[in-house]
Amino acid sequence: MKIFRILLAGLMLTFVFQSSVAQAVCNQSSASTADNDLWNTHGCWQAFFLWSYKAYDQRQSDWNNRGWNDACNANMEFPKHWNAAYLVTYGLQDANCCSWHGTTDYRKLGEAAGSNFHSGLYHDAGDGTSLFGGFTPHTFGADELTTYCPLYNATSANGNPGSRAGDFMHEGWHGWLHKYNWNNGSCGGHRCGTPGACTAKDACDYFYFHGVGAFAFGALYQTDGTANRFHSPNQVQVEFLCDVADYPKSWVPNSVRQAARSDADARAAARFINGPGYKCGNPRPW
Amino acid sequence: MTKLILVLLPVMLLQHRISANATETSAQPPNTQSRPSQQPSITVQELAKRQAPALVGTGEEAKKNALAFIDWAGASTKSQDEIVRKMVAGARENPDIIMAFCDEAFAKQDVDHSRALVALSLIGEARSQAGMECMVKFARQPLPEKGTVVEGEIIERTNLAMLQAKAIDGLAYLRNEKADQFVVEAAAKNPSRIVRAEAIAAYLWNHNYDAKSREILKSVIRKDEVIFLDRLVKQADEPKESFNRKLAVYLKTHPEIMPPGPEKAEPQPKETVGRPPKF
Ligand SMILES: [Zn+2]
Repeated sequence: MKIFRILLAGLMLTFVFQSSVAQAVCNQSSASTADNDLWNTHGCWQAFFLWSYKAYDQRQSDWNNRGWNDACNANMEFPKHWNAAYLVTYGLQDANCCSWHGTTDYRKLGEAAGSNFHSGLYHDAGDGTSLFGGFTPHTFGADELTTYCPLYNATSANGNPGSRAGDFMHEGWHGWLHKYNWNNGSCGGHRCGTPGACTAKDACDYFYFHGVGAFAFGALYQTDGTANRFHSPNQVQVEFLCDVADYPKSWVPNSVRQAARSDADARAAARFINGPGYKCGNPRPW
Repeated sequence: MTKLILVLLPVMLLQHRISANATETSAQPPNTQSRPSQQPSITVQELAKRQAPALVGTGEEAKKNALAFIDWAGASTKSQDEIVRKMVAGARENPDIIMAFCDEAFAKQDVDHSRALVALSLIGEARSQAGMECMVKFARQPLPEKGTVVEGEIIERTNLAMLQAKAIDGLAYLRNEKADQFVVEAAAKNPSRIVRAEAIAAYLWNHNYDAKSREILKSVIRKDEVIFLDRLVKQADEPKESFNRKLAVYLKTHPEIMPPGPEKAEPQPKETVGRPPKF
């Protein structure tokens, strides 16, 4: 009897737990100007999301209440996610003179397939508000790359396609660290506390400065095992954001570039123990 | 309660497993009721032909035009940058237009961050008296002390600091004494490192990195932020040769910023078959 009561309570609790999870999705009532402006350049290109959900290994069970069957509703997380994937796939100029890294690097870093950059991974979304993203290695099956509400909510400085894609790079780089067995710190893959010039907590990295052209396009995964040729997750993210801001394809909207630059500059000032990192572009207002 | 959850855990996990497996096997590709859209290459060509809304008028008309202009400018492309700059400069003497930009920046700062960013950029680019007052007011807003903590930072605070950094860009771009004074003060005293860093970068850029500006900043900024005076700005379209030369100088001048070598993690063999059953 007692066991039955516990089981019943358990089932109820499970139900409550599950339904609260089902409801506690990120803000689905709006999208940022940057998201909408990028969206309007493709107007919901269906051929793309039918490709990208496989390229990013997105699973219906993870995205069901986030726009899986409403994939042209730009307010939902799934469309916002593939809007960011669209930016990674087509939005960069790959300027030989000047870009940090190439589309081929950024795509391999964010996409699901195992490569020199990371083992196989899949993308899901989480309801948390205390993280931007997370990388969870799994013993069995693909590793997990989760993006959270602050990357989807228009109120947040990070709720835009550049910043969201920037997080694919950041978390993807945790995959790289994991694949090659590098220790970037024991607090979620970062240095603990607020060391050096960093103002974030348990989210700080070193910046491993390198020149433009030091890595051929496609060679971002390479390292010589020293600080001369190495990357940290925040660094890869800053470099990607600067490439979006400074060397985008000609059609990438201003609001997307502005948001990317703002994120890159803020992160470069606040996330590095040996900061600041690079500042992109110049400080002219427009 | 903990005990209860422990007892229930297997039930919950089992349920989760079953439902996850069930959906996995019946997974359908993503779907939409919308009609298929054309190739983006065509859409992009059409967008490029959109005319910028006129930036004229007074009162309600000015407001309507200003809002339409923000819509257009946010969506504009790199090749249209000069058009935006010229049109905004043309509206410099129209306080109703500038005030409409200003009202929109304040109205959207907690609602649509990237729109507020675009509005502030336009105000800064206009270089006007009304714009200066607006940007000072914007940059003087106190940063929130409480809010949602993301990775150790209060996200509402960071959001506002990023917008204030943009307002500072505009103030520095005015290149007048009063605005400069505000920028230097922000470089020294704004509570956010993000804003202080931008104030330093913007002040130096607008003064062509001359020795006098460096001295002015150096005498007021925090000692642990003097390095911001040398921070590398990767100027758009700067060829790699000149950037790499500057980088070499930067690293030589500041050997303290060279990070330590990376460390290998303890090897963690992947479990493939799990633990043996309990004996
Ligand atoms: Zn790099």
